[in-house]
Amino acid sequence: MPIEVRNLTHTYMKGTTSEVTAISGIDFRVDDGEFIGLIGATGSGKSTLIQHLNGLLRPTAGNVIVDGVDIWSKGVSLKQIRRKIGLVFQYPEQQVFEETVYDDIAFGPRNLGFSQTETEERVKKACTLVGLDRDLLSRSPFELSGGQVRRVAIAGILAIQPKVLILDEPTAGLDPKGRAEILDNIKQLHESGMTVILVSHNMDDVARLCERVMVLDRGKLVADGPAREVFSQREFLESMKLKPPEVTVLMEKLRKRGWAVRNDVLTVEEAHAEIVKELRRKGVAGAV
Amino acid sequence: MISGGILVGQYYPVRSFVHSLDPRAKILISIIFMAILFVGNNFYAFAVTGTFAVLAVTLSRIPWKVLIRGLRPIVFIMSFTILLHLFLTPGHAIFQIGPLKATLPGLIQGLFIALRLIILIIFTSLLTLTTSPIELTDGLEDILKPFSRIGVPAHEIAMMMTIALRFIPTLLEEADRIMKAQMARGADFESGNMFQRAKSLVPLLVPLFVSAFRRADELAMAMEARCYRGGEGRTRMRQLSLSAKDYYALGLTIVMSALVVYTRVRFGPVIPRGTV
Repeated sequence: MPIEVRNLTHTYMKGTTSEVTAISGIDFRVDDGEFIGLIGATGSGKSTLIQHLNGLLRPTAGNVIVDGVDIWSKGVSLKQIRRKIGLVFQYPEQQVFEETVYDDIAFGPRNLGFSQTETEERVKKACTLVGLDRDLLSRSPFELSGGQVRRVAIAGILAIQPKVLILDEPTAGLDPKGRAEILDNIKQLHESGMTVILVSHNMDDVARLCERVMVLDRGKLVADGPAREVFSQREFLESMKLKPPEVTVLMEKLRKRGWAVRNDVLTVEEAHAEIVKELRRKGVAGAV
Repeated sequence: MISGGILVGQYYPVRSFVHSLDPRAKILISIIFMAILFVGNNFYAFAVTGTFAVLAVTLSRIPWKVLIRGLRPIVFIMSFTILLHLFLTPGHAIFQIGPLKATLPGLIQGLFIALRLIILIIFTSLLTLTTSPIELTDGLEDILKPFSRIGVPAHEIAMMMTIALRFIPTLLEEADRIMKAQMARGADFESGNMFQRAKSLVPLLVPLFVSAFRRADELAMAMEARCYRGGEGRTRMRQLSLSAKDYYALGLTIVMSALVVYTRVRFGPVIPRGTV
């Protein structure tokens, strides 16, 4: 189910003195099974952009085409679009409202009119996907820890069983353990065949997980390509007020010292392998 | 987006004579004006108050368009008032629709009330249009201060108003975000009958209240961390001071009031008592 974005522009408060163009002239295409990282400085328009993909915002100009159909053309049910494209907002725990965790996760399936048994099945499946203990289902979401509520909120979207999952800063404000767990869940979701778009400030996370990276700068899509390519351009990223992943920076520093290591490594493991290789080449005694 | 529209009576930042007046003077003038508007009981009084209002608007450099837009919400109540007066006032019939008899005194009375309402809305919205919320609460605090002797918590009232005003946009933004988050989960805020719609607001209101309380708690702590302990002995960054133009404006208001009182004594009510 490809999503195509053509010449997308959005202007807030159009026609007033406080008019702001958040994004302009954006073109891209998302194919099935991709894992895309969307990065950009604060205020670059990331949140505005993703809210167009499931029809929460109406473009000022341009089109969003899902499965070959413009979602704003007549007769298209936005509810159906939102069923296919799940969007997890930033700090999603702020949207929980039901008395029990079960009811909150079931909110989506119930809105879509699923039967009780189908809903229950979906809730349980969503719980498994995010690693949520089933004993928690009867508890109040307001009693849980931050990381747990966040998982409840993500499960609330997964219970809709979307084909595409968009997450806006899913790890913001979590402790390192919670963050690693959530990212692990997302990775597994992608491996099970879901298309994932991850909005993040954390370059290390994006580098480790995403195959393709899109960079937004002041409302324009300034880069879109394989993660390796995008992250090896340190100066370009820095001009966007972004920082390449730590390992990429390390590699570049080593290169400046004359080491013949690649500068497009993305994970600690890759960096490790590169360094060991280089040490061996240099014949450093005791190199592993 | 809920917060997309411009709120009626929202501060309109331009430089003008009215903008530069002391907020206390403006509040006082508004109160006097409102009272005197109800003292006036004939169209001569409106000539006086109307002229005063037009003068104030001209001096404020606020476009009439903005003020007229502020009248929109009261169009319904205004037409309703006119109709009620037109048909329910006894007197000589000018025309008849079924059992309903429209009378001339009714028409005059209806127009009279509508005109009063228009002048009232235009003039009072001028206060918030020309005074920033901060100035307004500062002024209000000063005006209420004498009453603190009889237990009116002047500073607290002003502080609550400031905080409430400060958080209106924040809460609107938050409501917008939560609404979208629930729509992403298939929530529907737009269709269904009244009962269904009211019920569909639960997923919006519960999180909104939760976050409002959390915010209130955090704000209270942040204020205490900065040693806030109420109004006693607290100084201000902006000191209010009355200048010559404030006295001119107040003087003019008093002259206007006197004229209205004169028209009341001299001409009497718009529909003389005992004529109907």
